[in-house]
Amino acid sequence: MLKVENLDKTFRTAAGDVHAVQNVSFEAKDGEVVAILGASGSGKSTLLSLLGLLDAPDRGSIDIDGTQLAILDSAGRTRYRSSQVGFVFQQFNLIPNLNARENIKLALEFAHWPKDSRDQRANELLAMVGLDESKADRRPSKLSGGEQQRVAIARAFAAQPHLILADEPTGSLDKATGQKIVDLLREIASTQNATVLVVTHDEKIAKQADRRFEIEDGALKEIA
Amino acid sequence: MRTVGVVTILAVAIALSISMLIARDAVTSKINTVKASTGNTISVSPKGFFGFNGGGTPLKASSINDLLSLKDVTAVQESLSEELTSSKTSLTSPTPAGQLGSQFGFGGGNSGSSGSSSGTFTIPVRVIGTNSPGNAVVGGANGGGTEKLTSGRSFSPTSTSDVAIIGSTLASTNKLKVGSTFTAWGTKITVVGIFNASSTFTDSSVLMPLATVQKLADSAGDVTSATVVVNSVNNVGAVDKAVAKKLGSAADVTSTQATTEAALAPLNSVKTISTYTLIGSVIGAAIILLLSMLMIVRERRREVGVLKALGAPNKSIISQFISESTTFTILGAVVGLVVGILISSPITSALVSASGGSTSTNTGGFVRRGAGAGFTGGGSGFTPPAGGFSRTGIGFHFGGVTNTLTQLHTSASWSTLAFALVAAVVIAAVGSSVAAGTITRIRPAEVLRSE
Repeated sequence: MLKVENLDKTFRTAAGDVHAVQNVSFEAKDGEVVAILGASGSGKSTLLSLLGLLDAPDRGSIDIDGTQLAILDSAGRTRYRSSQVGFVFQQFNLIPNLNARENIKLALEFAHWPKDSRDQRANELLAMVGLDESKADRRPSKLSGGEQQRVAIARAFAAQPHLILADEPTGSLDKATGQKIVDLLREIASTQNATVLVVTHDEKIAKQADRRFEIEDGALKEIA
Repeated sequence: MRTVGVVTILAVAIALSISMLIARDAVTSKINTVKASTGNTISVSPKGFFGFNGGGTPLKASSINDLLSLKDVTAVQESLSEELTSSKTSLTSPTPAGQLGSQFGFGGGNSGSSGSSSGTFTIPVRVIGTNSPGNAVVGGANGGGTEKLTSGRSFSPTSTSDVAIIGSTLASTNKLKVGSTFTAWGTKITVVGIFNASSTFTDSSVLMPLATVQKLADSAGDVTSATVVVNSVNNVGAVDKAVAKKLGSAADVTSTQATTEAALAPLNSVKTISTYTLIGSVIGAAIILLLSMLMIVRERRREVGVLKALGAPNKSIISQFISESTTFTILGAVVGLVVGILISSPITSALVSASGGSTSTNTGGFVRRGAGAGFTGGGSGFTPPAGGFSRTGIGFHFGGVTNTLTQLHTSASWSTLAFALVAAVVIAAVGSSVAAGTITRIRPAEVLRSE
């Protein structure tokens, strides 16, 4: 269960203060897929950074399953990210000199997953996202965009996190592949019982979510 | 490709530093060898006192005390050279004047005519009074040879006894052995030891305590030769100047130091060049790696941001970059070490040649001999007096110091390998520290927001 209350984030720039996130409050259940729609510069990526503890809010609280995250120190935030949050990026952001399996195992390593079961877990995840054994030993440059995003999703779910933050996960893919990725996210969210927040500007993708929000000038409102 | 480039540049810098280190070691070793071979002594003789021709006024005890008071002087070996003509001794000189005696004006021999006693003249028996029977030397024009005490014993440096150590030729000619006596200046002298130097001239001489000779020859306090012993080879130059200043016009002061320093100047120049190049190349290598790592980290900011987003602690990411910079450095160090060793010899030769060292091979010349090896075996063990068996107490030999200066032996020692290791660690540490600092400052939110 994700519970966000009164979240604020302001950036100070030469041109003046930019209120990237303003008084954002919402809740999302486990296994639920939530879409956040917004145009460029609307604050959706900043919201994702705050929820993923990549950035600290100026005000407000973030609570996951009763754990208050705003009070965590730097080491605590790092531990939280490694075990409770999974990121899926538009550009996949796989480590280029590691193969598909190693990219997944890297996330397991950061989450202190038992060393002797990392291979098995990585293989399970690769199978779960539909990549066969032959792709496991390939580096990202030898995989298609869709395959890279599957590996990225496998990596995001590797440590069985409670929260998956997906930033434009279909932005670099064609429609058909993008649809498959959305289906995959929904399926895994359900089986892994994780909350998935998908930031997108694609209405079609957003409509497939369990709930939809729109963010404009940092303010979030739910779309009926 | 970039890795190859970085490793290659590092290898070149490390090879340069290794070759400079080897060149520096070789030159330093040669300098130390040459300095050690020239000894740590300074010869002092009365002004104008030269060879068999005499001249000058003997040094006095006060002058010797002045020398002993100088800084870094550990001892002064004194000697007084005298002649025993047949009227002053019962000894028969075993040395015929010969043709050379005639040429030097002694007369006698086959054709001598200018001597005072033509036809009957013989070389006088030479007596050396010394206060350092265990540290003096004989050689060069004084007869040369390596003296060994073949029987009996030596006498103490402060002895005032009427005793003598005589050369084997003199002993044989006069049928003397340890315990025998002879007369000198009307006094009965007891033979306490016999030496052999494999030189007829030297083996025809007599060694006696300095005080005894001064007393019998009515030359109280007189010294015809002094050898100043300095506590370190490195201080010889300063003491040489101090001695000259102290004694002024009363004495000739000579050491091998000036000749040696002049001959070593090219090598000192090479040493300086190699030291600065060594430091420069190590710094250069560190800067190369530093900039390379800075470039690599900046290029991989996104990767660092992603790793942080995935929950990687800073130390984990930093250790990854440290291992990369260490790998670069180790590869560069290994290649650089091998190349450095291979090019060290030609580079050293080129440096010596460029510094004017090649001309030094032709600059031999006279080098005045200081203290050297003396008696090493038999009896109580001693060496003949400073300055040797002559009036002057000065021996010359043609300098062999400078003609080997360019014969440098370059080799990689354990210390060279240790340096390579330390340099590699320092270079890697510098490169890594920059990477670490940059990584720590990367904020994943900013990196990922720019997508």
